[in-house]
Amino acid sequence: MSTLSEESRQIVASLAHRVGPTADIARIAQAIISTLRDMDLALTPIIGKQGLAALFRRSLHLCVSLHPRLSRTYDKVQSGMDLTALKSLIVEQSDADALFFGEVLLTTFYELLTTLIGPSLTERLLRGMWEPSLSDTPSQENSP
Amino acid sequence: MSTKVTINRLATGVPGLDEVLGGGLPEFSFNLIAGPPGCGKTTLAHQMMFALATPERPALFFTVLGEPPLKMLRYQQQFDFFDSEAINQSIRYINLTDDTLAGNLDEVLRRIVSEVEAHSPALVFVDSFRSVVLASQTQDNPNNNLPQFVQQLGMLMTTWQATTFLIGEYFTETDTNPIFTVADGLIWLRQSVQRNSMVRKIEIMKMRGQPTLPGLHTFRIATSGIKVFAPAPLNPVEAPLETSIKRLKMGVPQLDDMLGGGLPRGYSLLVAGPSGSGKSILAATFLAEGARNGETGVIAVFEQRPNHFQNAALIQLIQDGQVGLVDSRAPDLSIDEIVQLLLSEISRLKATRVVIDSLSGFELALAPTFREDFRESLSRMVTALTSAGVSVLMTSELEDRYTDLRFSPYGTAFLTDAIIVQRYIEVESRLLRIMAVVKLRASAHSDELRLYRVDENGLQIGEMLHDQEGLLGGRPTKRISGVSDPGDKNA
Repeated sequence: MSTLSEESRQIVASLAHRVGPTADIARIAQAIISTLRDMDLALTPIIGKQGLAALFRRSLHLCVSLHPRLSRTYDKVQSGMDLTALKSLIVEQSDADALFFGEVLLTTFYELLTTLIGPSLTERLLRGMWEPSLSDTPSQENSP
Repeated sequence: MSTKVTINRLATGVPGLDEVLGGGLPEFSFNLIAGPPGCGKTTLAHQMMFALATPERPALFFTVLGEPPLKMLRYQQQFDFFDSEAINQSIRYINLTDDTLAGNLDEVLRRIVSEVEAHSPALVFVDSFRSVVLASQTQDNPNNNLPQFVQQLGMLMTTWQATTFLIGEYFTETDTNPIFTVADGLIWLRQSVQRNSMVRKIEIMKMRGQPTLPGLHTFRIATSGIKVFAPAPLNPVEAPLETSIKRLKMGVPQLDDMLGGGLPRGYSLLVAGPSGSGKSILAATFLAEGARNGETGVIAVFEQRPNHFQNAALIQLIQDGQVGLVDSRAPDLSIDEIVQLLLSEISRLKATRVVIDSLSGFELALAPTFREDFRESLSRMVTALTSAGVSVLMTSELEDRYTDLRFSPYGTAFLTDAIIVQRYIEVESRLLRIMAVVKLRASAHSDELRLYRVDENGLQIGEMLHDQEGLLGGRPTKRISGVSDPGDKNA
């Protein structure tokens, strides 16, 4: 992930913001899941439950094929978009692995949607999701 | 003071559609957009939606079991009218797939109504409504009553002051369908396929309370969206004939003399002649003469060769903007599309002279489905152009048949106000050209058959062949002074 797009940077920053200053596995898992929930809320009314589940599956597949080390854990995810099951998988990981997975999954999802409906509409539909990271200074940076 | 209700007519944002609808879309109407797959229903709906929706009075687009919304968004974005910024602001997509799959029409209606109450939309779309109907039929649900559902939906949407469109795949308009009865408007889209040609057509089968333009109207789908070619409006009252006819110079002084001083303004002129007789040159001279007098012109060419123009003067006039070029190589043209192209160039340039070169090419450029009605189409074009006040010169390829005197292969000679005919004749082992003014409505004109030649300066008209006769037979004979023997004419 050396060449991050502007959007990816925002997603990563937003995730960090949601995790907050004290990163533990529970907070990381919660941050990933809550971001996915927001995506669900933004997209399901438009593309439907099944449409969203399909996007989620494809994102997961892309993550795993790009980073084979994730496959051991996340191949177990059942079809559909069961966020509770996903969360229970995430909390078994180390902090760093979980955060890495969250960043990869969310940016992959965003990029996948971009290839399908273009950058401007993707940005339009998911606008507001990353905004805390823009309006607030991420908590980590508050410390001198 | 009138106490009748005034129905607002909404401008659809689809070029030509408002004219066909008879002045726009009646506000709060309940409409069906119908047609087979791929005919442009969803595109038409989107184009109107993006034109009409505002943040205050948004549009709700309910997607049902038709095209998956993700794909619809992907493809509709390709059109210029699609504006991502409008989504979730003035346009809301609402997915009803799950509700429809359950097959309960009452539940579908409840969802639609609750969204409508929440957003107070000015516009409501349901795509595709056909799938709502099918899903309801596959379920063994005794409470499903389609006529009642449609009737209630229509009533509720109008009461909530929403203009509504149901989009559906229907193949025959003769089906007895409750939707057809309840709907205020029925917009039918079709694709007419003949051999390798496909023409899109739109028909307003019904639009309550307003005078729609009947019949099938052609349309195209381009990146700008749908464009409907409505027939050109005709002035019901023709401008009164001026007492003194103003005449246009043709650019060939002798020809002006033959025409009794030039072509009367607002006339249509057919120049008919065999291949190579100089029709296009005469047409170019006609435009050049106009330009010399400060008039602008429009030329429509229907040739498939891009380097059609051999005429340097004409190329210059086009480059200088004194002559507009209508050079549509789009396949499967319709007469209304051509007329519209011509009229828009005419009004852009305030043109007074129009050339169509040639009718033969024009006929080939038309979609096969229109060729059967070529005479009728031509008549409409001539009427549309002359009622726009321009003078029209059309060329027509004429196969030389020396046994009869014909002016056009289409039986269209009666359509034009004036006819000039050109012919080849054989004299002393040379191919010479003659021409004559055959017809000039309401004006005196020459009856001479005049020799002419074509050189770098255009047409040079010479004298009559006084000592020859039987010219129209192509092989004139020397006239024996005094007596002429009719039997010799075609010898």
